Amino acid sequence: MRDIHMNLLKSIKSAVVLALGVAMVSCAGVDNPGLEYAPNMYHSVAYEPLKQITDENAGDWVQMDQENSNYGEYYSSNPLNPNRMNMRTPPANTIARGKSPYRVAKDDLDSAANVISPYPEGNEAILKDGKVLYEKFCDHCHGKDGITPGKVGDVFLGVPAYNSAAIKDKPEGHVFHVITHGKGRMGAHASQLSVDERWRIARYVQKLQKQ
Amino acid sequence: MTRKSLTARILKTFAFTALLAFNFAGVFAQSIPTDDANISNGKSLFDANCKACHSVENKLVGPALKNVYDRTPSVEWIFSFVRNSQKVIKGGDEYAVALYNEYNKTEMTSFDSFSDEEILDILSFIKNETDNPAVVEVAVADSGDASQNNEAVSSTYLNVIVVGLIVVLALIFVVLILITTVLTKYVNNKDGLDDIDKEVVNQSFSLGATLTSKPFMFLAVFLFTAIVFKVVINGLFSVGVQMGYQPTQPIAFSHQIHAGQYEIDCNYCHTGVMKSKNANIPSPNICMNCHSAITKGTNTGEDEIKKIYAAIENDQPIEWVRIHNLPDLSYFNHSQHVNVGGVECQTCHGPIEEMDVVKQQSLLTMGWCVDCHRNTELNTKDNKYYDKLVELHKEDSDKALTVEDNGGLECAKCHY
Repeated sequence: MRDIHMNLLKSIKSAVVLALGVAMVSCAGVDNPGLEYAPNMYHSVAYEPLKQITDENAGDWVQMDQENSNYGEYYSSNPLNPNRMNMRTPPANTIARGKSPYRVAKDDLDSAANVISPYPEGNEAILKDGKVLYEKFCDHCHGKDGITPGKVGDVFLGVPAYNSAAIKDKPEGHVFHVITHGKGRMGAHASQLSVDERWRIARYVQKLQKQ
Repeated sequence: MTRKSLTARILKTFAFTALLAFNFAGVFAQSIPTDDANISNGKSLFDANCKACHSVENKLVGPALKNVYDRTPSVEWIFSFVRNSQKVIKGGDEYAVALYNEYNKTEMTSFDSFSDEEILDILSFIKNETDNPAVVEVAVADSGDASQNNEAVSSTYLNVIVVGLIVVLALIFVVLILITTVLTKYVNNKDGLDDIDKEVVNQSFSLGATLTSKPFMFLAVFLFTAIVFKVVINGLFSVGVQMGYQPTQPIAFSHQIHAGQYEIDCNYCHTGVMKSKNANIPSPNICMNCHSAITKGTNTGEDEIKKIYAAIENDQPIEWVRIHNLPDLSYFNHSQHVNVGGVECQTCHGPIEEMDVVKQQSLLTMGWCVDCHRNTELNTKDNKYYDKLVELHKEDSDKALTVEDNGGLECAKCHY
């Protein structure tokens, strides 16, 4: 009888230890993503954008080719790039394939006013796209109607109404230029919007100016 | 010069200056109207034309306009500056040139269509704002404190209830022990009890005996096995599943404030979501579109926003921690889902606009993907691409065309 008890106590003890161990692994803090299944299929061998593992020994234990490889399985970082990132900014003064450059300088609003939209007047599809883009990229400052500032505009301050005397007659090229380079307190939005998208928004802003 | 004449002269000068000042003030008071009608007309003119660059309280693109009628040379000067500032500056006016240089030679738009009355109305609005500054901000802060207090009160209230209950339970326990002792004593003192009765009355509770009893052992073994089984199974199922992963980010950025409170569209910062595989993590230049001017955060004050400025100054990328780590063995493309499929961000990412710290809301397992592909109907309306497919599908099935029917469960769609 006593032996049985001893065994029982032992097994209870080991069960508690096991349970505690599993519990510790499963909630090892908010910064731990947990265990990976088949980890050498989780980490890309090729450079992935928006991902970077700079530790050269990361994933040593699953490295298949221990002899010929200098790095761990998970290592993903390009030592030739600034900050060893996997992505890099395009070199200065280059043009991406399929893109056309916009060369009007930031302060040259007079020339900008003469730039003409690639889309013909009265193209309803462009206006519709412009509205969709406007509501994503502009309305939190300029407001849905382009007159009453949106919620960000309320705290950012200095958001003009499109139908104000100073703005209501500005041509489409001017609007495009301001989206591209910013003006006054407004920042440049060229990194967020392609040339094509900017022209679409400009078309919709033209409509809002005529209220 | 006699003493008398000197005094007279001083007196004269003084009187003249006083008269001049008085006159000037009189003209001035006449110039800026104080009627409500003028003020409200001035407000609408200000909102429509000036607000882009000026505020009464704060320096924006141009100077704060508080007290502008006191500090500028004259009201007439304001008239000509508003109508054509460049003319005044080129005319060599000292105040205008200094102002132009102070604001990095930013040209003020010419408002030559304004009449004297209109400009005076705007000034009356500015004077009204200067004399009666808005108190909105204080009110907001007060209401915030009040709600916090409410929460604090309700939590202490709960604590008091819990402590009270524990005290009551302890008292009951003590009283019960007292009752049993008294009863045992009473029964023992009574005559005519045989041995069996005495044993029953005086039986002692033995911990060892209870622990080694068969029913207890069975219960203990059963409970431990069940718990261990459950924990092990749960542990195994959580391998490779990062649901709930909520890492600490290098900057305490709150989606609740940006996407929730201020209603900034997800796409504004996550610029790739409609065009590419990745939704994109915004670079600091996008932060600066607003934080060029907004230097104080709602939750964290200036500390966290300063980290953006530091990153830009030192040209050092912000190392955000990636939360959604889909394994390399499966392919996922944001544009296909958001742009083509019209899936909302929240469908997979949960109520991001309510999250202070973002966590992984969904399982991101294959079963989770497949479930959605089976149940999601394709939007085939007004899309000629699908006409023939819908026709063919209708021949075999009376259900709507789903992602699955369009090859959404093909292995090679995601694994290649």
